[in-house]
Amino acid sequence: MPRTYEAVYIFDSTLEDAAINEKINRFNGLLGAKEQPEVAHWGRRQLAYSIGPRENGYYVVSKFNAEPSALPEYERALKLDDGVIRYLVTLHEHEVGAPPQSEEELAAATRRDDDDDDED
Amino acid sequence: MRRPQKSCPFCESRVRWIDYKDDRTLGRFITDQGKILPSRLSGACARHQRQLSTAIKRARFLALIPYIRGHQA
Repeated sequence: MPRTYEAVYIFDSTLEDAAINEKINRFNGLLGAKEQPEVAHWGRRQLAYSIGPRENGYYVVSKFNAEPSALPEYERALKLDDGVIRYLVTLHEHEVGAPPQSEEELAAATRRDDDDDDED
Repeated sequence: MRRPQKSCPFCESRVRWIDYKDDRTLGRFITDQGKILPSRLSGACARHQRQLSTAIKRARFLALIPYIRGHQA
């Protein structure tokens, strides 16, 4: 069963934009996904701390559906690529995360808080 | 003696999932040194405090927020 993942890549900021796009396409190809992943380019930004000699990185966020069995090969390619400073692949949990809070539940929670205040 | 209840800032703004890429929001929940604020100070409920600490740790790894602020390597 395919699952939705979100990957953040930090590329070396000295790379050309064309080279970065080419790498992203190669990584996406390894996933064997049917639909095209959503790719958002954040562009070059300063790192909060230096990673080795690098002070800047080119951030790219990508969201895709893939079979979990396709991930090891994909992550191996990421790990071996010298242009990628860092990457993070996470399950895209926004949908499966916290269950939606209904109006009644929220009201009940607020009421409980009020009760607690009274006890003090 | 019990401390008065703070209301969770995430529940109040109806946030369902804390985004690790949102470094502005996360920056409000770390100390001057870069430590994660305890729920006692952040006021977050248990569910959101768990999400918050995971999000901060992911953001640190991605160099969006520092591990230690004011540290010169």
